[in-house]
Amino acid sequence: MPIANILSKIKEEFPDAVLDITEFAGEKILHVRGQDIFTLLTRLKADGFNFLADLTAIDNLTLGGYERFAVSYHLLCHETVERLTVKAYISEETPSLPSVESLWKTADWQEREVFDLYGIRFEGHPNLIRIMNPDDFEGYPLRKDYPRLGHKERENFPVVDRGIQKKESNDQGN
Amino acid sequence: MTRVTELSLETDKMVLNFGPQHPSTHGTLRIIMELDGETVTKATPEIGYLHSGFEKLGEDLDFNQYITITDRMNYLSPLCNNVSYALAAEKLIGIEVSKRTEYIRVLMCELSRIADHLLNVGMLAVDLGAMTAFLYGFKLREDIYDLFEIATGTRLTTSYTLVGGLMRDIPDGYDKAVLKVLAEVDKVANDIETLLNKNRIWQDRTKKIGIISKEDAISYGISGPMARASGIEWDIRVNEPYSSYEDFEFDVAIALNGDVFDRYLVRMEEIRQSIKICRQSLEKMPSGDVIVDPGLGYSLPPKDEVYNSIEGLIYHFEVTMPNRGMTPPVGEAYVPTESPNGELGFYIVSDGNRTPYRVRTRPPSLINYSIFSKLIEGHMLSDAPAIIGSINVIAGELDR
Amino acid sequence: MIQDDIKSNVLTTTLESAINWGRKNSLWPMPFGTACCGIEFMAVLAARTDLARFGAEAIRFSPRQSDLLIVAGRISIKMMPVLIRIYEQMPEPKWVMSMGACASTGGVFDTYSVIQGVDQFIPVDVYVPGCPPRPEGVVEGFIKLQDLVGKEKLSDYAPAPTK
Repeated sequence: MPIANILSKIKEEFPDAVLDITEFAGEKILHVRGQDIFTLLTRLKADGFNFLADLTAIDNLTLGGYERFAVSYHLLCHETVERLTVKAYISEETPSLPSVESLWKTADWQEREVFDLYGIRFEGHPNLIRIMNPDDFEGYPLRKDYPRLGHKERENFPVVDRGIQKKESNDQGN
Repeated sequence: MTRVTELSLETDKMVLNFGPQHPSTHGTLRIIMELDGETVTKATPEIGYLHSGFEKLGEDLDFNQYITITDRMNYLSPLCNNVSYALAAEKLIGIEVSKRTEYIRVLMCELSRIADHLLNVGMLAVDLGAMTAFLYGFKLREDIYDLFEIATGTRLTTSYTLVGGLMRDIPDGYDKAVLKVLAEVDKVANDIETLLNKNRIWQDRTKKIGIISKEDAISYGISGPMARASGIEWDIRVNEPYSSYEDFEFDVAIALNGDVFDRYLVRMEEIRQSIKICRQSLEKMPSGDVIVDPGLGYSLPPKDEVYNSIEGLIYHFEVTMPNRGMTPPVGEAYVPTESPNGELGFYIVSDGNRTPYRVRTRPPSLINYSIFSKLIEGHMLSDAPAIIGSINVIAGELDR
Repeated sequence: MIQDDIKSNVLTTTLESAINWGRKNSLWPMPFGTACCGIEFMAVLAARTDLARFGAEAIRFSPRQSDLLIVAGRISIKMMPVLIRIYEQMPEPKWVMSMGACASTGGVFDTYSVIQGVDQFIPVDVYVPGCPPRPEGVVEGFIKLQDLVGKEKLSDYAPAPTK
């Protein structure tokens, strides 16, 4: 079924969940409310979008938008070769969404990465722990209010003492 | 005397730590395996040992500066990353590039694909004990590096594309150099296949190991040669062509079993198809300009114009000074491309400034690697290098 | 004559020079390759630029069997404890070559999770610049390291005085 039909049907059936349907550079974007994302994605998967290509998040602090965080899902239908972007909006006070790991197993690691870098929790995820940063890392690096240089985690290591008398080589080389 | 049978032997599961510093993990991977004798019962991969904050850097560098960072992701085929990012930025901004640019981009992507597959097959062979394939592949990679050096200036981190074109045009006589190397590639691919295809040890160590079914492949988001070895007929160059791929004639290699041997065969066949595409690209190369109109404010004008004409100087300043030039529209774009590992795409969100608001790489290595814990269960410990080698995990792209 | 025999068959030197000569011409590297510099290091070991002709024939991936640690690639905060542990496992005498811009100073990656220079925490002898350095550059760094090793004194390895 072509994408325009699917989107108009979804807009009829879920009028409160769907916030908007926009288009940019020839691609359609479906904006939905965060807590209804599981029902919508189940419906889209049944309609033919069998492949979840990408799952990521955007912090809308300075960009503006419906809420502060938007988790975007990029879907692909192998049969009709169509792509669709679904953006789920969640607020800063309750950053949590239902997990779609039961629909597509690829969401497992990608949701862990979103949790690690943004602090968004996914309910129903089997193993929601940090994946990229060390386990004792504090803070969520990709949020807009986290500084790029970090909070001195990269200087926090012991200086190795060799225990010998060797002086550092001063050879300037030539 | 009673014989000790397996059932009566008191054994305990052993936990073995594989990596992150280990000769056969390609890059910094760590796997925590629970072994029952030699059989792996559970494997938990741990990643993040090369996490460098690429996506945070993307918010501080402008559209052209970020291209140097994209080289460092999949460092076996950096030109594919450059092309993929440039395509996403061009779709967001709405720039059309010239036909010659597209053909040169295709040529460079296919040469990188050959280099990547040669290295991957070589590393898989070395992990399983066949050193000769590695040495042949590496010697040929040096010749391909020479080709990159002639065109772009460096061997590995090329940063060749710009938003709207290329850094510089290919020199005259480049096609003769490329054709010479392509003839060598054909010979070496035949040599490697002669050594490995009918080799009894190779077949025993790679057939029926790490089988991925079609449903699993779609559920886990697998793409590229791994998916095609499981029977999924999906190649972005054919199904969603970008950068004039629809002008080229080539076949797509598909295998049906989904084990390590099939992935190796698919990659070898893709090397041959890439040779075909390169030859076609050189024959049909159109003439023209590779840099789009510098007046738009994205591409640097050629250096002799900068030094010899006033317009060139002004455009140069417009692009490089911090608060001038480069006004992309507010929006987002995602362009999927076929990298040697699978579907590579950049998702760029822009808020109208010189620097993107969010740059996200869709990493094929990470998504392909997530199936590893399912694949290794039930296999022996010595199958782990074979499976990791066939997935082609590249740590730079995995952790970004 | 005995003097002629001695002149052509006996070599006199100091103990230090002999030991340094042996150490510098058989440095066994341990590649700690993490990123793109790791691939360039593999090209250094391959056929065109061959590091084995300088005596670095035995590439061991075990720290206990090597004396030169080549840090090739960016080191993230998750990897640093591993690097320190491997450095401490190497027996003396040992040297460290920091290959590439990322290992020497952090390179292009001035972010929260990349160590801005391995020499903040472990002592480095030779820095090879480049991103990635050409294989010829790595060979020049290696030759400089050999010169450094040739100038060492035996008293350098005496234990440090306890404070």
